[in-house]
Amino acid sequence: MADPYKPRAPFAPWDRRQLPGLFDVEETARRVGNYKWAEMKLFEALGGWVATVPELDVKMRLGTHCYHHAWHAELWHKRLPELREMNPDRLTQPANDAMVQFVAALTEPEAPELTIEKLVGVYRVFIPHFISAYTFHMNNTSEITDAPTIRTLKLALQDEFEDWRDGEMMLQSLIETPEEVDRAAAHQAKLEKLILAAGGIAGPGSIGGN
Amino acid sequence: MTVSVTPANFSFVDFDAELIRRIGDGLLEVLGIDRPVHVEVDETTPLGRVRTEIGDTITVRVESGAFEDSRKPRQQSDEATTANLGRALLRARDRISGGFGEAPADDELSLRQIAAWETYCVGRLARMGVPVNQQRWKYNFRNRHGFTDVADAAFERIWASDGLTWGELETVSLEGAGTPS
Amino acid sequence: MRKFFPVDSLARDSRFNQITMKQSQADPRSALIATEEKRPKTNRLQPSRADASDAARSLMHGIFVGEIQALEGAGRTCHDFETGTEAPFALKLDMARQAWDEARHVEISVKLSEWMGTEIGQYAENTVLFEAACSTDPVLRLAGVNRALEGLAIDVFTTMKEFGDIAGDPFLEFCEDWMLADEVTHVKMGSDWLRRITENDPERRKKALEFQSVVDKIFSFGGTRSDSQESPIGLARRFRELAGFSDDEVEDIADVSLRALEERKAFARQAQAEAVEQFSAS
Repeated sequence: MADPYKPRAPFAPWDRRQLPGLFDVEETARRVGNYKWAEMKLFEALGGWVATVPELDVKMRLGTHCYHHAWHAELWHKRLPELREMNPDRLTQPANDAMVQFVAALTEPEAPELTIEKLVGVYRVFIPHFISAYTFHMNNTSEITDAPTIRTLKLALQDEFEDWRDGEMMLQSLIETPEEVDRAAAHQAKLEKLILAAGGIAGPGSIGGN
Repeated sequence: MTVSVTPANFSFVDFDAELIRRIGDGLLEVLGIDRPVHVEVDETTPLGRVRTEIGDTITVRVESGAFEDSRKPRQQSDEATTANLGRALLRARDRISGGFGEAPADDELSLRQIAAWETYCVGRLARMGVPVNQQRWKYNFRNRHGFTDVADAAFERIWASDGLTWGELETVSLEGAGTPS
Repeated sequence: MRKFFPVDSLARDSRFNQITMKQSQADPRSALIATEEKRPKTNRLQPSRADASDAARSLMHGIFVGEIQALEGAGRTCHDFETGTEAPFALKLDMARQAWDEARHVEISVKLSEWMGTEIGQYAENTVLFEAACSTDPVLRLAGVNRALEGLAIDVFTTMKEFGDIAGDPFLEFCEDWMLADEVTHVKMGSDWLRRITENDPERRKKALEFQSVVDKIFSFGGTRSDSQESPIGLARRFRELAGFSDDEVEDIADVSLRALEERKAFARQAQAEAVEQFSAS
């Protein structure tokens, strides 16, 4: 057996994590607050829609996904005090007014004939934007100082990918005519424009750039 | 031979005596029963028991649930009427046409024996084109014979059979229950 | 999407036929008041009943649609109340968790129904469970859904679990046991939130408990659930205790259920007399 008292490198040769990161504590807390707000809006919408969709398989998936996003909101809620924000509600905010408008448009469809619009909003617009914002954050934050955020991002991303796949498959099975393709595309375009104005889940810079 | 129905008009349920009569006439023809049949519906209860008395006339006493559309309470279902009247008449035919002489009286049949005989009746109805859910009857058979591969094999044999005697039916049923005679 | 969704708008595919409690109660037929020779010795759902398989299938379908409505109710509570001002964040998280649990229960119920030979929508769907989930006060909703509805679920699942156990059904007993574990959690959730939210508001607590009592009576479905052998579903005292019901509360529910049974019998006698009278007049 090797000598247990022999000095070893604190970072093993295979551990290539770097110290620098794009976000300081304040910026991280701001983003996390935006994530929590957006995840809350998503789980509330999914829960509300359960009663409005006649398709039994969709109804059950929405109920399941509702919890996934509630859990993400809970994880972000718990992360906020660790980022020096002792009043998590203060930072539980939308990135900007455009984001509020986006959520209002997302949650507008209610009629039972509008399942395609409901799913497009969640699975072709909102969740892809979560995936991009979370991925950008995970890849650009300090791998050492912000490890807890990275862990939460990874857990959330796992759900986001799986939920996106579920949602996309439900949509493909519901869209049966060229007219429905157009309906889905038109609704997606409408919502994409709104979230473009918002700059993404965490506002401008959600995936870098400005 | 014809079918008569009482009551002629219903006050607790929205049933049609004429429809019951027509379905009964159709069944008599298909099943080759040459005795008159009287169907007596007890509309005061939502239960679905069916009892049969065989004399010069075959009397079928039916609780309203047996002819009811389970999706729409108090409404009649063609399918349920056909399937449940058909089961009762097939059992009556089995008793009349021979081979079932040693079968116990209806009140003395055990739950296992009832399940086996029901399976035999419904299997034949299915082959006559009457819509039935085979899994429903398999579940009933399993409840009375056990949830085993042996019970399932017995169910399949009985379901697919024609021209069984009571003794043959009882033998397969007992084997299915794991207690061969 | 509006806040507070009306029960008559619950979305279903074409296989389902929904009826309200009022429509269901308007049925003048009742096995409860039949003469002794016509009446079964016990209505309790047990394999020894001659119609046990069909009765279990019917109850399983009732569980299936009940789980759909419980899923919808939990989902709506996530949506209908503003976080913080109307309902605590943690309460909404619990409701989201419950939505997932209920979604799983729907999945389980579909599989079990298939196993028992029942088609989706084969029986009418009574929407009474969601009606109790429509209150605009989250505390009343918790009392109605988590304590009364989920309490009923404990009674139903216990009855079904015992049925599966006695019949030797390998899936029924297994699945009901899992669902029962979830329901005990949901009832406990409701009891805890009721206590926490109304800690300094005895008036609101009283109102919530009164509402629960009303819902409990409705959920006795005219005696379908009670300690009496005339009821298909018994009162699961042990599991209710685990879920946080006090002995007094269980006794209250037992009394309410028995009263509902007697009222149902009286109603059926009157309804039958009226139906005969109406028929004679016409």
